[in-house]
Amino acid sequence: MEFSFSEENKNKIPDILKKYPHAEAAVMPVLYLAQEQNGWISQEVINEVASVLKMPSEDVLGVATFYTMYHKSPAGKYHIQVCTNVSCMLRGGYDIYEGVKKRLGIENGGVTPDSKFSLEEVECMGSCGTAPMLAVNEDYFENLTVDKAIEILDSLK
Amino acid sequence: MPKIVIDDKELDFNQGQTIIQIAEENGIDIPHFCWHECLSVSGNCRMCLVEVEKIPKLVIACSTIAADGMVVHTQSEKTVKARSAVMEFLLINHPLDCPICDEAGECKLQQYAYSHSVGESRFTEEKNHKKKRVPLGPYVMFDAERCISCSRCIRFCDEIAGEKQLTFVQRGDKVTIVTAPGKQLDNPYSLNVTDICPVGALTNRDFRFKSRVWDMSSTKSICSGCSRGCNIEVWVRNNEILRLTPRHNAEVNSYWMCDNGRLNTFKHVNAENRVDGPYLKREGNLIKTGWDEAIAFAVSELKSFGKDEIAFIGSAFATCEDNYIFAKFAKSAWSAKNIDFLRHVKPGESDKLLVMEDKSPNALGAQLAGIQPGKGGLNFEGIIHAIKEGKIKALYLLEDDLAAIKPEYESALKKLELLIVHSSNFNKTTDIADLILPASTYAEKHGTFVNFDGRVQRIRSAVTTEDFDRSLDGFEQSRLDKFGSPFDKWSSPKKMDARSSWRIIAAMYSALGHKIKHTMSQEVFDEISETIPEFQGLNYSVIGDTGAKIKLKSAETKSIKV
Amino acid sequence: MERIVLPDIKDLHLIDVYIQNGGYQAVKKAYAMSTDDVIAEVKKSGLRGRGGAAFATGLKWSFMPKTTDKPKYLCVNGDESEPGSFKDRQIFEFNPHQLLEGVLIACYAIQAKAAYIYIRGEYAKWVKLLQKALDDAYDKGFVGEKMKETLGSQFSCDIFIHKGAGAYICGEESALMNSIEGKRAYPRVKPPFPASNGLWGNPTTINNIETITNVPAIINKGAEWFSKIGEPKHPGTILCGVSGHVNKPGVYEIPTGTLLTDVIYKLAGGVPGDKKIKCVIPGGSSMPPLRGDQLEGVKMDADSLKAIGSGIGTAGVIVMDEDTNLVKVLARISKFYHHESCGQCTPCREGAGWLQKVLERIAAGNGVSSDLDLLISIASNIEGNTVCALGEAAAWPVRFMVTKFRQEFETYVKADVSIPVPNKVHSMRATEFPVADIKL
Repeated sequence: MEFSFSEENKNKIPDILKKYPHAEAAVMPVLYLAQEQNGWISQEVINEVASVLKMPSEDVLGVATFYTMYHKSPAGKYHIQVCTNVSCMLRGGYDIYEGVKKRLGIENGGVTPDSKFSLEEVECMGSCGTAPMLAVNEDYFENLTVDKAIEILDSLK
Repeated sequence: MPKIVIDDKELDFNQGQTIIQIAEENGIDIPHFCWHECLSVSGNCRMCLVEVEKIPKLVIACSTIAADGMVVHTQSEKTVKARSAVMEFLLINHPLDCPICDEAGECKLQQYAYSHSVGESRFTEEKNHKKKRVPLGPYVMFDAERCISCSRCIRFCDEIAGEKQLTFVQRGDKVTIVTAPGKQLDNPYSLNVTDICPVGALTNRDFRFKSRVWDMSSTKSICSGCSRGCNIEVWVRNNEILRLTPRHNAEVNSYWMCDNGRLNTFKHVNAENRVDGPYLKREGNLIKTGWDEAIAFAVSELKSFGKDEIAFIGSAFATCEDNYIFAKFAKSAWSAKNIDFLRHVKPGESDKLLVMEDKSPNALGAQLAGIQPGKGGLNFEGIIHAIKEGKIKALYLLEDDLAAIKPEYESALKKLELLIVHSSNFNKTTDIADLILPASTYAEKHGTFVNFDGRVQRIRSAVTTEDFDRSLDGFEQSRLDKFGSPFDKWSSPKKMDARSSWRIIAAMYSALGHKIKHTMSQEVFDEISETIPEFQGLNYSVIGDTGAKIKLKSAETKSIKV
Repeated sequence: MERIVLPDIKDLHLIDVYIQNGGYQAVKKAYAMSTDDVIAEVKKSGLRGRGGAAFATGLKWSFMPKTTDKPKYLCVNGDESEPGSFKDRQIFEFNPHQLLEGVLIACYAIQAKAAYIYIRGEYAKWVKLLQKALDDAYDKGFVGEKMKETLGSQFSCDIFIHKGAGAYICGEESALMNSIEGKRAYPRVKPPFPASNGLWGNPTTINNIETITNVPAIINKGAEWFSKIGEPKHPGTILCGVSGHVNKPGVYEIPTGTLLTDVIYKLAGGVPGDKKIKCVIPGGSSMPPLRGDQLEGVKMDADSLKAIGSGIGTAGVIVMDEDTNLVKVLARISKFYHHESCGQCTPCREGAGWLQKVLERIAAGNGVSSDLDLLISIASNIEGNTVCALGEAAAWPVRFMVTKFRQEFETYVKADVSIPVPNKVHSMRATEFPVADIKL
């Protein structure tokens, strides 16, 4: 699958580069930009980012695989992240996780056949005071019960 | 000068040196995996943790800059404990496949497991599994389970080969090494990563499963791939070369050698097309003959030409000793003037690290040993021209496949009435020759090469021929050589009927009634050092393992840069 | 009590509201002082870092070289990924301008040409909130080239936000710098330290978000005032995040030295169902836990917590009631540190996973009595031997949890289980050669 930045995104890159004295430093924001456009970080994305930033594709690959938020395979339209770390665990995080798994019918790292949902058991998201929680893409849903979590999933179109 | 105490020894050091550097210089071994003298410090393996007085935590010797008055303990209880902890961690997920691992026997992890480990594992969980047998490039195979993530290979590509080709991916205990999509580890120095890999994660695809390392002998020699003269080890099992590895020489090649030198300069030694015994051409057919007959033939045939009708072409691939005796033979026995050799310079085919444009190992040595036109004699091109014109009718050619270089040379050689060739393998030139004398390869004889920089270096006999070339410092023997019995498969090696060129010429010399007193190549070299000013004061023991530099006149330096 | 970091003012996140309430006055005041005086003032205040190590902030600033040709940088650490910590996000949301003003003062004090505020990637929403505040501050001329005019000073600096992408290790200062540089976030071997060799090899200071947010108040009201709040050796307020088994979890700004029991019972409303407390982790998941019977009289400040064998860390208080299964909790904590180990150095890369495997085996009911000592031994072998403090973060919870709650762990491992035969495989030294018993 070919990948190249859209005109709109291409125009954003110079502004990102202005933040840093060296172009390679822009690799993380530029990878985000690519993921926003492509949905995930494919081999083609790696090569495109490398060529845009004039850096070795090996380095882009090393960075993309180090950080968990870059999807190395296609994610669903709604990427569901459920925290099961200690503070959430103490307040029922695993119940939420199991409930979501059951509702979506997928395991950790799975994607529903219609590509609508993907699921990830995540580490602490910083919602310990409002635990348990789940996140849909970038949005946090906190102080959950299993029922509320299911309700949220069902409301997603 | 500032001083440091390591294990009760007070040592001088230079400002800026790290603890491990000082220890290495003074013969104190601080175990390490990731540190390498020629690479940047990464500090990840933690094996070199040492105790420094007044510092509460252990520090890594590879990154800790020495300070005046520092007191270091490498054998304290704390250090030993930390080291065995690191060993235990490295081993828990390391596969126990030493029995089929090529690295076994020269594996740092294996060695340290013996010397720095506690001797048992407390790990009863399932080991992590990763990819095995991943070809990273044409020559290098990767086993991710064996990898200890020391990053030496990555740093080698970045810092020495000058090409980013490898990267870590993932994190934690999932970390592994890959090339970028669509790319491979194919830089001209890729195989060096197999040498510096402290475990069997990176192996040489050309050598994989050929032999246990302890079943081979290793002989110090010099690469014949170009005029750099990289120091190498020649690894032999059952009289067959299985691999070459670089040997450290800070003045020449550091720890490295190029893939081309490593892979393409020894296979002819084992090849099917070796010249096994002298061959005479009779009525258009090559017929194997005895040495005495071959030498008598050469002498009598050469005698039928006038001295201006004969040319002698030496070789940048032969040793100084070969060329010296050859030149002496040409000049004193035949009063020849038409003496020269061909330089194998390929303009542009060099790099910044090791590879030189001159693709022969001993151009400078051949020249210094006397392979130069005599007064009024013809040089190489002149000789070719004269052959074409029919003025030169006989050619004595030493170890060079001229016919393969240019059709022009091939057609010239075909015009000769007599062509005597020393060659290790059958080739285009031997096809034309009237007499083929089987020459030992660089791996079957003793001798010297002079590299581009004027460094005289020794090659040694690593493989035996029927007429075994001995030297005073002996012959490296493998375990199998020493302990094999006639009933073992490996103890009936194939031995070639080939001789060092200088010995063949010496026999001819004797056939002409001259006395040649030399029986070993080091005696020839002694004569060289007595008669040729540049070699003055040198002998085999002075040259030693890492070579000795000769004094060059500027004209000579220039001529080799052609 | 006066709140310094999160004042109770409606809509304080809006720049106009912030200015109406005396915002961006401290930066003017600071810029009229010499840089040495600013550093001296912060030193005098006794402000200590809120990111975990509680290092003296003014002293850290003074490490920056005065004479150098290299550009200098400030990094502000908002990676906030330690389980149990959720305080910095309140600052991004409710008081971003005080953070930015603090950044401007710190940049001036150390003469940094630019500051990078590192925010963890999961906080996408808060990145946007802070970016809005930053854009407003640029527009009003408080940041960037225009500040020379606005503030009437010779000095100017830029502030950039760098968004992480999911890696706990980026909270480690040198890993954070590598991440900003666009590299894999491997912690660097120290020395060299950031003050001489930080971002792109240049002198760099790294402070926590909360630390920096305190600075404008110190400049406004003086070091004297600040140093008198809370514990004298660790003065000021701290944002204390309370989570787990409490009735009112959340972030509370408290003077240092507040009793831990007051935090749990008075502020956080006590334990649901009035259950007893089994265990409290006072400073985020990497800090050594306290037993329920150890809480009496414990004060929330760096030195008090150190004195009883724990640490203030990020002041993330995790409360566990009497019914909590600590084996499962510890297995979960270990899973986290295994997942987040960067993989660079041996002890943490290999040891963190080993700890998790043993703990999960115990939690699954397959533990043996020797496992507990094994856990402690593995943890001790990691500690002190790694490139960065994540080694300790992975090891401490295990070592201290197993030690302090040995009884509970003992009941979990089966009694009378023979110790598995050790694999005598690694070394010839200690191995007896097996004698083959061949029968023909």
